[in-house]
Amino acid sequence: MIKTFTPDDVIKYVYKECDQEEQREIEEALLCDEKLKETYQYVVNMKDDLDKIDVQPSNKAITNILNYSKNYNLKKGS
Amino acid sequence: MNKIKLDDSQLVSQYIKGSELAFEKLVNRHKNKIFTKIYLIVKDRYVAEDLLQETFIKAVNTIKAGKYNEEGKFLPWIMRIANNMAIDHFRKEKRYPTIVMEDGSPLLNNIKFAEEPFETDQERKETHKLIRKLVKELPESQKQVLIMRHYMKMSFQEIADATGVSINTALGRMRYALINMKKKMDKLNVAYDKNLYPG
Repeated sequence: MIKTFTPDDVIKYVYKECDQEEQREIEEALLCDEKLKETYQYVVNMKDDLDKIDVQPSNKAITNILNYSKNYNLKKGS
Repeated sequence: MNKIKLDDSQLVSQYIKGSELAFEKLVNRHKNKIFTKIYLIVKDRYVAEDLLQETFIKAVNTIKAGKYNEEGKFLPWIMRIANNMAIDHFRKEKRYPTIVMEDGSPLLNNIKFAEEPFETDQERKETHKLIRKLVKELPESQKQVLIMRHYMKMSFQEIADATGVSINTALGRMRYALINMKKKMDKLNVAYDKNLYPG
């Protein structure tokens, strides 16, 4: 029997917070539950939209940090 | 093949032994969370990037000098450094933060998301602007969960613990945040890019 899932379950699934068993069950339910599929689609769409506003550091800042660490011993040795 | 995910403490141990790859994993795992925390305090992307670098430099100096206390947890420790860096920045600037995260609310009142200075596509730029506006307009409790989950990459359980609500409440707030944003988008008849939304 296919388990019933709520929109909150779908949100957890989209944000990868389900355990393997739940994940498998939701994927199964998505194949035959149109309403659930619709919910899934809009959560995914909204997540994509939210990704468009960039609140993450630039690659340059991260490279600087990693380089600082790599060169730390050289600096201390010189 | 199963990938074994090392926890922070294991990565720090490897880093202490000289693994730069372990440090890279730690940085990539936590960069967004730390950056968002600083950004929400200083509200300036470039200042936040400088402070993020200073935060990690301080962490590197401490760990490589053998002064890191392994009993503590890495993330709360580096978050405290980040918080102090941001507060020090305001002291130097003789200004005071209006937003204090996590430990001391009020949370996320006047979020200013980063503008994208090199945006060329006008239509895309407008969509980004709209999304920022819709997030800002959300009720406080919904905005809080949405930002913590989506941008600070906290799990719903961590959000529930940090905000003193149940995980179901945190999930419910996230759901309402998404519903509210969608409703507003539908009302504004947002033209979705069909390539982004196939089928």
